[in-house]
Amino acid sequence: MSEHEQATKGDEARSRVAEYVLGLLNAREHEATKTLIAASPALQAEEAFWLDHFAPLDDQVAPVSPPPHLFGTIEKRLFGSANRAGWWDSLVLWRSVAAGALCVAAAAVGFSVLQPRPDSAALANQLVAALEAEGSDVQFLALYDGTGEVRLTALSGAEVPGRAYELWAIQGGAAPISMGLVPINARSTVELSDTVRSGWGEGSVLAITLEPEGGAPGGIPSGPVVAQGAVTRI
Amino acid sequence: MAMNPDARIVADLIARCALRDRAAFRTLYDRTSAKLFGVVLRILKDRAEAEEAIQEIYIKIWQRADRYIAGQTSPISWLVAVARNHALDIVRVRRPVSEDIDIALDIPDAGPSPEGHAQARQESARIEHCLATLEPDRADAVRGAYLDGFSYEELAQRHAVPINTMRTWLRRSLIRLRECLSL
Repeated sequence: MSEHEQATKGDEARSRVAEYVLGLLNAREHEATKTLIAASPALQAEEAFWLDHFAPLDDQVAPVSPPPHLFGTIEKRLFGSANRAGWWDSLVLWRSVAAGALCVAAAAVGFSVLQPRPDSAALANQLVAALEAEGSDVQFLALYDGTGEVRLTALSGAEVPGRAYELWAIQGGAAPISMGLVPINARSTVELSDTVRSGWGEGSVLAITLEPEGGAPGGIPSGPVVAQGAVTRI
Repeated sequence: MAMNPDARIVADLIARCALRDRAAFRTLYDRTSAKLFGVVLRILKDRAEAEEAIQEIYIKIWQRADRYIAGQTSPISWLVAVARNHALDIVRVRRPVSEDIDIALDIPDAGPSPEGHAQARQESARIEHCLATLEPDRADAVRGAYLDGFSYEELAQRHAVPINTMRTWLRRSLIRLRECLSL
């Protein structure tokens, strides 16, 4: 292919992405182009280029407030009843996540054999929890070594600017107890406080919430639960 | 990436929606729904249809919030793109099917560099400057496609030219626009 033909083809592809962004393609072309863009970072950059450059034109469109009742309808369609309970009321939901934790337990055992071999009494007390929540990409694996420390590894999730992830223990229907802030991009170890240790065992729930930088004000969780799971014996 | 304070707040709200924060979703709606409703109403030109569409759009925003990648597009562009695409999908099914163009897309890896891209984004007047370098009727056609969601057929009728002429006009205009925007 000559250099000229190559350049022409490039122009054609780029103007096709622009036609896609403008919505000029027919349904079949539009779907085909969407698929191609999804598979190509170069085309995604091209799409972003056009979206950002055209965006200032949006200011020529006068804003129009939608009728006030619409948001209620959207909430109902998304969440069912518009009423919502505090997140700590959803222990039933958390317990159901324990089944998921079992699936990850096998992986955790693999993880634990990489660690120095603990003595057999400690091994018998080892607990594991997979922390996750529907709709959140934050996932942690927690492993209790049987001697008073929980090791945490984030499997997925990203830092959120100006916010911090906080770990909580919920035991026997008591209010959540903060176990401190945890990093999302590094392994960490958390020592059980005496309060946590007194109720600690199979069925204890670990939860991670997204809090303001520095942690939940007053030691009471304020942000959304992004991951949670009950601890299970290995 | 430099982001103005308003964009930063919207980006943060989208991130919190990805973490299933319903309060953030409401704030995002309060902050952006008038803009998106304006965009959708202009394309659909039917209030009842636009009201139905805006519900679907915010449902999509909630469901796809985790796909927004800060730094790739501005958060406002992303929201508008979700809204425009939904409205355009609706008008597209109303249109008769025209001849297909070649589907294969062969693009040399020559996207804009991230630095150049972020810089261009800050110059919001750039699109106006570059549209002004086109013949006025072609610039109008580009605006009509973007703002009103007009198809080639509708643009050809409005400008009283054959549809193939309109296609050629617009493709050439888009190539010239891209050159100008990349400077």
